[in-house]
Amino acid sequence: MDTATHMLRTGQRGALFQLNMALRDLRSSLERIGLAWSLASHDIVSRYRGSILGPFWITISMGLMVLGIGLLNARLFNASLHEFIPFVALGIVFFGTINGIINEGCETFVHAAGMLSQTSLPMFTFVWRTVFRNLINLAHNVVIVVIVLIWFGYWRNMNIPVAVLGLVFLVANAAWAGMLAGIASARFRDVPQIVISVMQFAIFMTPIFWEPARLGTSRIFLSVNPFYYMVEAVRAPMMGANATPHTYSILALMALGGWAVTFGVFTRTRRRIVHYL
Amino acid sequence: MSGHPVSITVSGLCIRFPVYGVDAKSLKKHLARTVGGRLGPSQAGATEVTALSNVSLELRAGDRLGLIGHNGSGKTTLLRALSGAYEPDEGTIDVHGRIAALLDLNLGVDPAANGYDNIRLRGRIAGLTAREIDARLDEIAEFTGLGPFLAMPVKTYSAGMQARLAFAAATAVEADVLLMDEWIAVGDADFQKLAHKRLLNLVERAGILVLASHELDLLRLYCNKVMRLEGGVASPVTDIRKLDELLAA
Repeated sequence: MDTATHMLRTGQRGALFQLNMALRDLRSSLERIGLAWSLASHDIVSRYRGSILGPFWITISMGLMVLGIGLLNARLFNASLHEFIPFVALGIVFFGTINGIINEGCETFVHAAGMLSQTSLPMFTFVWRTVFRNLINLAHNVVIVVIVLIWFGYWRNMNIPVAVLGLVFLVANAAWAGMLAGIASARFRDVPQIVISVMQFAIFMTPIFWEPARLGTSRIFLSVNPFYYMVEAVRAPMMGANATPHTYSILALMALGGWAVTFGVFTRTRRRIVHYL
Repeated sequence: MSGHPVSITVSGLCIRFPVYGVDAKSLKKHLARTVGGRLGPSQAGATEVTALSNVSLELRAGDRLGLIGHNGSGKTTLLRALSGAYEPDEGTIDVHGRIAALLDLNLGVDPAANGYDNIRLRGRIAGLTAREIDARLDEIAEFTGLGPFLAMPVKTYSAGMQARLAFAAATAVEADVLLMDEWIAVGDADFQKLAHKRLLNLVERAGILVLASHELDLLRLYCNKVMRLEGGVASPVTDIRKLDELLAA
């Protein structure tokens, strides 16, 4: 009986060897990216099984939030509905994706304990699963954005290709943060609580319910907030404006730096993650 | 893609795990340690347990190895290492062939999903493509004998029905190396007979079987070689006919 499949595991140490193994994990997860997709779509189906509207329940509650906060804050801030509601809608929907990828990232490895402890499935598969699951959710919530942008007439001058580029940046950054949270959560069970608090704090510190222009000279609140750039890169082009060029350079730097750190941590902990669980 | 005969070569395998107690998992404790004490590195993270030390074995196509040993002697750890889940701390594991680990029948079972979806999910985890699963779905469905119940959520199944489904799905993969933690005996008498036949078939196709069990009669029936683990230390691989001597030793 001949076979082409081969598994070689050695106890060899050394940074280069571990880096190589981490890269191999990444590569094989990409070769089997369909598996991550199947797991993600199964998650969605099973989470909402038996409910009539399924993931659209989230869409509805988000829609209500957009309407409520949009109307209320527009009045409080004396802003025009025409500008404020699309602004809030885009902010809530896309911040929701960042929030989902990072918060659910904490469970990425913990939930996969069974599979990780008896198969040689790549770890990255589970990271992609979390990302895909949230992209599927986003696809449902985008309904809100579409309705609002059509209603207020922004569809005429929105710039979809640039917004998609922004979304790529957003996901690239949320994904490393989620993975890092996943590794840390597997090791330390306090981390998910910390992450939830940080994300809750972030939603109020990021211009989602309020417009950045209202800060006046205190723009420091924006420039040190990574979530601001992530949201702005998608929101601005959808509203027919342009995000400042340095938004993209900051996002690119954040993605590069973040992935370097995350991959470094992964390289060091990869063989241990299964024991953390 | 060079063909290589099915084989397992393990040499000098050591596996140690850090056991992170509930305490050690708390960040506060960890930080408190890093900041406060100067405990040695072994104490700072967790207690380290040596699960396997210096295990070597070599198996060729047709070998059916039985693993014996007390609870906690390292049988499951060895199986998990062979499945690729645990990485060696020292030594090497070299497996040629497609590995199927039947360590936990309930792996990936979603109780809220129906039978068909669970078969698909399990197949995907085992490495089949969606198309391969569809091609095999009828055969698997027939094997479960669950008929119309496959369209019902798995949580409505009796324990025996669940076991039938899990077994059928888990054994639907084609593998060269089969790893089992305890012989799978599930369902009623009829199904056990079917399951038995299927496993034998799988074992024949598989080329190599590694089976951990406490039932010596079972090992005598299915295995031709045996290895005893004792506190993570392995005996040499011996012929199954010398099982009694091995136990006496």
